[in-house]
Amino acid sequence: MANVAEEQKFPGHPLLPYALILPSVAVIVVFLVYPFLQSVQESFFASTAFGTKTVYVGLRNYTRLFASPDFRSSALATLVFAAFVMLVGLSVSLAVAHLLNQKLRGQGFYQIALIWTYALSPAVAGAIWALMFAPATGIVPFVVAKLSGGYLMNWMTNGSLALLVVSAAATWKMLGYNIVFFLAGLQNIPEEFVDAARVDGAGAWRTFWDITFPMLSPTTTFLLFVNMIYAFFQVFGLIDIMTHGGPGDATNILIYKLYRDAFLYLNTGTASAESCIVFLVISVAAVIQLHYATRKAIYAR
Amino acid sequence: MKSRTWLSMGLAWLLALCLGPQAALAAGKVEITWWHAMSGNNGKVVDKIVKEFNAAHPDFELKALYTGSYEETLTKYITAYRSHTAPTIVQSYEVGTQTMLSSGAVTPVYQIPGMLGETWDWAQYVIPITHYYESDGHLWSLPFNSSSEIMYYNKDLFAKAGLNPDRPPTTWEELEADGKKLLASGAVKHVLSFGWPDWTFEQMFAVHNQLFADHDNGRSGLATKVLFNSEFGVKVIDTWAKLAKENIFIYGGPEYSANSAFQSGQIAILIQSTSSLAGIEKGSPFRVGTGFLPRFEGYPRGNSVIGGASLWVTKGQSKEQLRAVWAFFKYLGQTKVAVEWHKGTGYFPTVNAAVQELLGEGWFSKDQNYLTAFLQILSGRRDTAAATGVRMGPFVQVREYERTAIEKAVAGQLSPKAAVDDAARKANQLLADFAQMNR
Repeated sequence: MANVAEEQKFPGHPLLPYALILPSVAVIVVFLVYPFLQSVQESFFASTAFGTKTVYVGLRNYTRLFASPDFRSSALATLVFAAFVMLVGLSVSLAVAHLLNQKLRGQGFYQIALIWTYALSPAVAGAIWALMFAPATGIVPFVVAKLSGGYLMNWMTNGSLALLVVSAAATWKMLGYNIVFFLAGLQNIPEEFVDAARVDGAGAWRTFWDITFPMLSPTTTFLLFVNMIYAFFQVFGLIDIMTHGGPGDATNILIYKLYRDAFLYLNTGTASAESCIVFLVISVAAVIQLHYATRKAIYAR
Repeated sequence: MKSRTWLSMGLAWLLALCLGPQAALAAGKVEITWWHAMSGNNGKVVDKIVKEFNAAHPDFELKALYTGSYEETLTKYITAYRSHTAPTIVQSYEVGTQTMLSSGAVTPVYQIPGMLGETWDWAQYVIPITHYYESDGHLWSLPFNSSSEIMYYNKDLFAKAGLNPDRPPTTWEELEADGKKLLASGAVKHVLSFGWPDWTFEQMFAVHNQLFADHDNGRSGLATKVLFNSEFGVKVIDTWAKLAKENIFIYGGPEYSANSAFQSGQIAILIQSTSSLAGIEKGSPFRVGTGFLPRFEGYPRGNSVIGGASLWVTKGQSKEQLRAVWAFFKYLGQTKVAVEWHKGTGYFPTVNAAVQELLGEGWFSKDQNYLTAFLQILSGRRDTAAATGVRMGPFVQVREYERTAIEKAVAGQLSPKAAVDDAARKANQLLADFAQMNR
């Protein structure tokens, strides 16, 4: 390990490694770093839609956002949404993956059927859920009304219900992805460990919590991170198709609010400030999560 | 070293790819471009009209390009304008009108004939439509696809409930009474829903000749304050909240999400844009009736508001390009083309001659429903700003506030008064910002 610095990986071509990474660095700078710096700059300005006039407003975009009840409720909705997608999504996926890992007939069919959801585009998934839950014509409100003796399940007016339905749809959409990873993780756990625990008299529940779950922690950490990114950034299509952020802004999560401020209301200043805030929050969350979870994760066998 | 050469070659190639299309120009022909938001069936009609225009004008080449929804088209147009690659003509929706007026990016349509040394009779266009797009008495954009809002009802369900299927309710009071009968008959569980709840809210103001914002609905100067939290505004929302409580009104979401409930007979009355007429008639297994928007008794009469979009011309065109633009605009106003547009899409024909032609050939008597929207706008007032409809800079965003207020009031989360006050406060802040930036 001591002579890493002297070690020549590419003898005779000292610049080659840099040339090789240059394209990716260039892409990152052009498409990520530069636009990001531009948004940071724009977050201190207000401008007309056509950019004919741009005025420096200092921190006004930020102070207004923090003072605005709309932004706070949007942030809250985002947290609820993300928590649902991460906790419920991962729990259900783990349970399903565990079932799929048993030796049963038609296992291949079940695996494909349950992983399928990931192959759907957000627009298609959104349309399916919107149709299933349509207040007057959907199957779910119909069944609910039949079972409950007339309860009207109108999530077009009930904000909490809408948030729940959208969260469930987003979770369902991600199930396939999570299951694939959990399944791979489960299949990597040596059977001897589980067998040994059984021989020692541990029940299924105990075996799961003391052997399987800790052994899965690298997978779980990774999935927590991916699901967080998904819940924050990749559910635009679903929201746009299902609720447009309504009713009463109940499902107006940050990424959707940002889209509307930027592309519908043509408010680049506000939208830039929002994107900076989201970026900051996500970065902090990611660092904490990776730091804490990697320390706890058991990579060694 | 070699890799760097490759890289620079790659970059040069990329650059060429970006700049290429602008360099290309059809030899001898004046080329103009038009970005529009007409997709599906309407897009096909646009393509046909463009093709026919090009065939009839060998000197000009009009290139029409579908650039996504209205929002997307406007966003793309702004981006293109800022990078000096804007198209010659752009279609912008009605709520973007003030944004376009304040943009400083356009040549007003009314100035184009003069710039070409021609005169033009602007009176040939249908007045309630042109009024909507006028500023200081002049037309700034050419009305293209115009619609309005009407009431659709299910005649079969009306008959089932013992109501006269040829007599739709004309007031909110009648609608409530009919609604109760429809519920009592067991024909439906809910009676009424809206497409575009926010637009319907604005329609109520115009139909009753009530101002929606100050400065004559933003028509004599930039609007600085909304007036929709007036006594009248509260009355409208209060009525809807009450109907919701009585199970007559069911909130169906924005835009077109309520259509399926109507077409499947789950509700009996739908308030929706005229642009849904063809689709609803085709897709409903029952007799569809139409009527005017319901009114409140004891309020003055106004008119229903025009929706849809109009065509704007980017400033700084050469004389040759303007000539091409003007030839196209004149072409759209030809009776034959306007009739073709109406029959193909259901949007209003924008010239009087086309209306005459359609009446003459008995087009409306074949299907009375196509006449309803016309009668509604032609029988209303044309002389007040309140009846013409509101114009605001941040209209799209204010509309979202309206919708949120309606949703919260109908769900019983907020009282109607608190809901509209909250929306008005937020809207006023936006209007103040807009006025400050666009003084």
